[in-house]
Amino acid sequence: MHTFNSIIALIIREFKINYRNFSDILSIFLFFLLGIVIFVFSIGENKEIFNEIGIGIIWTLILLSNNLSLRKFYQDDFNDNSIILFHISGLSYEIISLIKMIIIWIFIQLPFFIIIPLAVLLLNIETSNFHIIFLSFLIGSTIITCIASISGSMNLLNNKNFAIGSLIIMILSIPVIIFSVSLINVSDELIKAQLNILLGFMFFFLAITPWICAACIKLALQSK
Amino acid sequence: MLLVNNIYFKRNNRQIINNVSLSLSAHKIIHLTGNNGAGKTTFLKIITNIIELQKGEIYWNGKNINKHPFYFYKNFTFIMDQNTSNNSLTIDENICFWRRLFSSKRNNKEIDSILELLSLNHLKKTLINYLSYGEKRKLELSRLIIEQKKLWVLDEPYNGLDQISINLVNHTLLNHIKLGGMVIFTSHFSPDIPNIENLHLDNHAHL
Amino acid sequence: MKFLINPNRFNNFSNIILKPLIYLSIISLILGLVFSLYLSPNDYQQGLTVRIMYIHVPSAWLALLTFFIITIYSIIGLAFKISFGFIITSAVAPIGATFTLICLITGSLWGKPMWGTWWVWDARLTSVAILFFLYLIIIFLKKSFTNVNIGEKITAIFVLVGSINLPIIKFSVDWWNTLHQPASISKLSTPSIDPSMLRPLIIMTIAFTLIGILVAIIRIKAEILTRKLG
Repeated sequence: MHTFNSIIALIIREFKINYRNFSDILSIFLFFLLGIVIFVFSIGENKEIFNEIGIGIIWTLILLSNNLSLRKFYQDDFNDNSIILFHISGLSYEIISLIKMIIIWIFIQLPFFIIIPLAVLLLNIETSNFHIIFLSFLIGSTIITCIASISGSMNLLNNKNFAIGSLIIMILSIPVIIFSVSLINVSDELIKAQLNILLGFMFFFLAITPWICAACIKLALQSK
Repeated sequence: MLLVNNIYFKRNNRQIINNVSLSLSAHKIIHLTGNNGAGKTTFLKIITNIIELQKGEIYWNGKNINKHPFYFYKNFTFIMDQNTSNNSLTIDENICFWRRLFSSKRNNKEIDSILELLSLNHLKKTLINYLSYGEKRKLELSRLIIEQKKLWVLDEPYNGLDQISINLVNHTLLNHIKLGGMVIFTSHFSPDIPNIENLHLDNHAHL
Repeated sequence: MKFLINPNRFNNFSNIILKPLIYLSIISLILGLVFSLYLSPNDYQQGLTVRIMYIHVPSAWLALLTFFIITIYSIIGLAFKISFGFIITSAVAPIGATFTLICLITGSLWGKPMWGTWWVWDARLTSVAILFFLYLIIIFLKKSFTNVNIGEKITAIFVLVGSINLPIIKFSVDWWNTLHQPASISKLSTPSIDPSMLRPLIIMTIAFTLIGILVAIIRIKAEILTRKLG
C-alpha cells in the first residue's frame, strides 16, 4: 500500500513538473520541425526525392530530437538528491527509472503522433499507410526512450563531455532506425517479419533498461 | 536502535572512514564533528545505506540494513546537504508530495501549524524558485515532522537558518529525544542542547 | 593463470616474456610480409591489389578479438569486482581502435581498384565502421569522468551494452544491405581459398596478434604504474 502511494506521488509530481515546464518540451518539437525546414532548404523542394527519403529524414530527426531529452531523465533529481528521497520512501531504483521512462514517453514521444503527420504534410510525402507509420513509431519510440534513459543514467556524473550522451544514443539506435524505416517502405510480405524483429528489440530493451539505469544511478550516488 | 560496527570506507585510495563504531538508542543524540573533508557526509550516507559499505556491519533493531534495506528505510528521516524541494513546484505541492510519498499521517491542520511555526505559511503558494536558501532549508526540515520517523539523520541542519529558526530546531530536537526518538547530526557549531554525545571524525584516525 | 587477473603476477609474467615476444613479433612480421608480398600468387581477377587482403583481414579479426577481450574483462571487472579488468579495458581499447582503423583504411584502398570508389556501404565495411565508432565512444566515455573509479565502471557497463548490441547491429546492417544493395559482390566472403593464399594470411594474423599483445603488454604495464602513482 505504501509503495503504491509512493508510486502515485511520484507520477503526480512528474506530471506537474513537466506540465509546468512544457516550454522545454515544446522546444524539442520545434527542433524537429526546424530540422525538417533545414532539410528542405539543403535538398531543395523536389517532390520526387522527398517521396523516397522523407520517412528516413523524419526518423533521423526524431532520433536527434530525443538526444535533447537526455538530461530530463535523472539529472535534476540526482543533483538535488531527490532521487535518494524516492529510494528511501520504498521504491527501488528500477521502479523509479521505469516511472521516469513512462512519464517522458508520454510527454515527449506521444505528441509526435500529431507532429509526424504534420511533417509528412510539409514534405509532401505521398503515403497512404499511416497505420504502419504509427505502429513503427509506437514501437521505435519506446526503444529510443529506453536507450535515452540508459544514456541519461550513464552521464549523471559527466559534466565535461556534453556530446557523448548523444553519441551513445545514436550508436545504440542504429538497428531501430534501420527496421523502423524499412517497415514503412517495404513490401507486404516482409512486414510481419520486420514487425516481429522490432517487437523483439522492444521487449529486450524494456527488460534490460531498468536494471542498467538502476546500476548506473547507484554507481553515480556512490561517487557523488 | 542503531548499531554501527567497525566501518571502513576508502575512496580514490584515501581511507576516509577508518574503523568507526557507534550505537544510537532511544533518547540519545549524537553530534558528529570533524574538519572539512573528514568524511561526515559520507559517514551519514553510509549509515543510511545510500552508499555501499566496504567493511563492517550496521544493524537496525538487530537486522542487518544491507540485507533488509527497505525495513530500515521506513524508520528514519534523512535531511541531506541538498534541499530536495523541486524548483518548479510550490511549497504546498512539495509538502503534498512528501506526505503522499511517505504515507504521512499528518492532517492538514497540523501541516498548517508547522508552516506557521516556520513562518512559511504565507508563502504556501509560492514556487520554490523564489524562496531564499534559508526558507528552502526550513522547508526541508519540515520533513522531519511530516514523516514522523524514529531516527533523525541530519546533515548540517543549521545551515542558512536565522537565530529564531535555530532555537526552533533545537527545541524540536529536544522534544523528539524526550519522546523516545534518536538523532545523529553534523554541524560545525555546538548547539545549546544538554546531554549530547560527541563523535569526532578524524582523517586517518578513528574514534 | 593468475597473471591474467593479478597486476603483480602480470608484471612478473610480462617481464619474462617481453624480450622473446619482441623477437617473435619481428620474425613473424618479416615472414608474413615476405610471404604476402613475394611468395603468394596474384589473384586472377584483381591482380596485385589482392595483397592488401593480407593486412585487411588480419586487422579485422584482431579488431573483433580485442573487442571480445574487452567484453570478457568488463564482465570480470563488474561481476567479480577485480579492478584489473578495468585496467585492461582502458589499455587495450586504443589498440582495438587502431586495428579497426587499419582495417577501414586498407578496405578503402582495396575498394578503389575493386569497386571504383573509396568507400562502399557493404555489410562488412559498415559493421567495421560501427565497431570503430564503438571503440572511440569507449575511449571518450572513460575520459569524460573526472573520477576514475566511476568512469571505468560506467565504461564497462557501456561495453557490455555495446557488445550485446553488436550482433544486433551486424544483423540489422546485413538486413539493410540485402534490402538496398541486392547485387553487391563481396570477394571478402568467398568460402574457398587457395592454400597458397591461406598461408600468408595465417602468418600475418599471427604476426598482428603478437604485435597486438606486445603493445597491449606495454600499455597495461604503463596503466598499472599510473594507478600506483595516482
